[in-house]
Amino acid sequence: MSVRLRDTDSVIHIRWIPRYTVLERFMHWVHTASFLPLALTGLVLFSPLLQCGAGCVAMRNLRILHRIAAVFFGATPIIYALVQPRRMLMHVREFFNFCRYDIDWLKAAVPYYLLGRHGAMPPQPRFNTGERMNAIVMIVGAAVFGISGLGMWFGKGVIPANLYLALLMVHDLAFIVTFAMFMVHFYLAVIHPMMWQSLVSMRFGYVSESYAREHHARWYYGRERAIQLWEQQKAEGGH
Amino acid sequence: MSETGAPRVNRRDFIRLSGASLSGLLLHPSGRALAAGEGELAILYDASRCIGCRACERACKEFNGLPAVEEPNTALSPTSWNLIAAREGVSHGQQPYFNYQCMHCTDAACVMACPSGALAIDERGFVSFDKNKCIGCGYCSQFCPFGIPQLGEVNLLTGQAVASKCTFCQDKFFAADSGVPCADAGGGGPSCAEACPTGALIWGDRRTLVARAKGRVSELKDGDHKDAMLYGEHEAGGLHRLSILLDEPSAYGLPEDPGGQFFLARIYRKIIQPAGFAIFGVALAGVTAAYGLARRNIHMEEVE
Repeated sequence: MSVRLRDTDSVIHIRWIPRYTVLERFMHWVHTASFLPLALTGLVLFSPLLQCGAGCVAMRNLRILHRIAAVFFGATPIIYALVQPRRMLMHVREFFNFCRYDIDWLKAAVPYYLLGRHGAMPPQPRFNTGERMNAIVMIVGAAVFGISGLGMWFGKGVIPANLYLALLMVHDLAFIVTFAMFMVHFYLAVIHPMMWQSLVSMRFGYVSESYAREHHARWYYGRERAIQLWEQQKAEGGH
Repeated sequence: MSETGAPRVNRRDFIRLSGASLSGLLLHPSGRALAAGEGELAILYDASRCIGCRACERACKEFNGLPAVEEPNTALSPTSWNLIAAREGVSHGQQPYFNYQCMHCTDAACVMACPSGALAIDERGFVSFDKNKCIGCGYCSQFCPFGIPQLGEVNLLTGQAVASKCTFCQDKFFAADSGVPCADAGGGGPSCAEACPTGALIWGDRRTLVARAKGRVSELKDGDHKDAMLYGEHEAGGLHRLSILLDEPSAYGLPEDPGGQFFLARIYRKIIQPAGFAIFGVALAGVTAAYGLARRNIHMEEVE
């Protein structure tokens, strides 16, 4: 049997699959662009290293920046909920949907992301366990930031002092949790050598077919087929 | 703990002390290690001698250049650092007056909470305030157990709320430090105490004043004022504004245990905030280490 080479055989065809809408990507980057200045202008209060000395006037102005960024940070999810409520609801349902494969995913994630052992990764839907954890931390964090931040912004001198202090501490604890999560998210999405397609998809909206199959099998094949393939693969014992 | 003899510790104090010593072990000690002590100054207010003439209020405003308000003044504000108020029901209405000003705590929650170093503890014991360093966060007003630092008008857009409070007339002492006599000093100590005509407000060495106050309290107890007490000897590590009360502290709106706010401020400044700052470092180190591992172990050609 002979194979005839055709011209098109020398070209690699990649099927691109849409993953994020324009609005989703836009909202993601507005949120990012407001989270970072919020973190930096908030952090100024945290360390004696950054205490002002002569530059107190500058520090007074940072609080204005913090509030401007906060408006964008808070407005993003609200606008998204108003413009595409059904899609947002769909996302939230996806985010809060966990099953036993997520435990397997977490167990396999460390050898996978640090050592490149990718065979043990169970099939994932459109958002993998880590992405869903990040989303939940950010959703809960944004709500906590919003409530405590608005309380401090408009309640200073109005609400009881002890309530103000509680809001202050909750706001700071929310920062610690969300910033730690953000760093993991930033590392995996931007720095990690295997995940570049994830970053590309948040920029252009598409992932390649092979990436979708490898990283989001339950999205690519559908839940039943993906799990069937995964169990089959495990039964064969080979990765 | 009791002053003399065997220490009496109840469960609440025990938990608090254990927590405090644990955090003391873990954390770099800040502020002063010793309680209010030698060489420190204080103001002593004797409610039994106060006639409510408000000479202290006016002297305070005059020396500190604060604008006058319509009398009688009813509240502390950024421009009223000293206030005489009559408390209803105190000592059966015989001596209802109380002078409200900064208590100059040893364990000052405001100083602990201040992120810019505008509030500081002077070696003479009082809590100084540098308005040029104040960034207007207003945390001091929220942490103070006595509600002393008052916010100016809060700017709703910026959240700006520059606070202000009694400074023990620090300018007199700072002028003396630099060898330049202070203009319009009106005496070398806090203006309120210099102005008081009845000796209800006096100032001087803290230890001397404590001894004197104790003598006065026992005098009052022997007389008509069975509930007389000295407030400020041990509260919040020792106050530098001591008060002789004729009734229990709550009758004057004073907290029984003002030290709790300092503990809270300490947790905030010494645990929560450093943890927040450390997150940056830890995250950077973690990311670098993870990247190093991933680079060494992951071979892209195999993955692709």
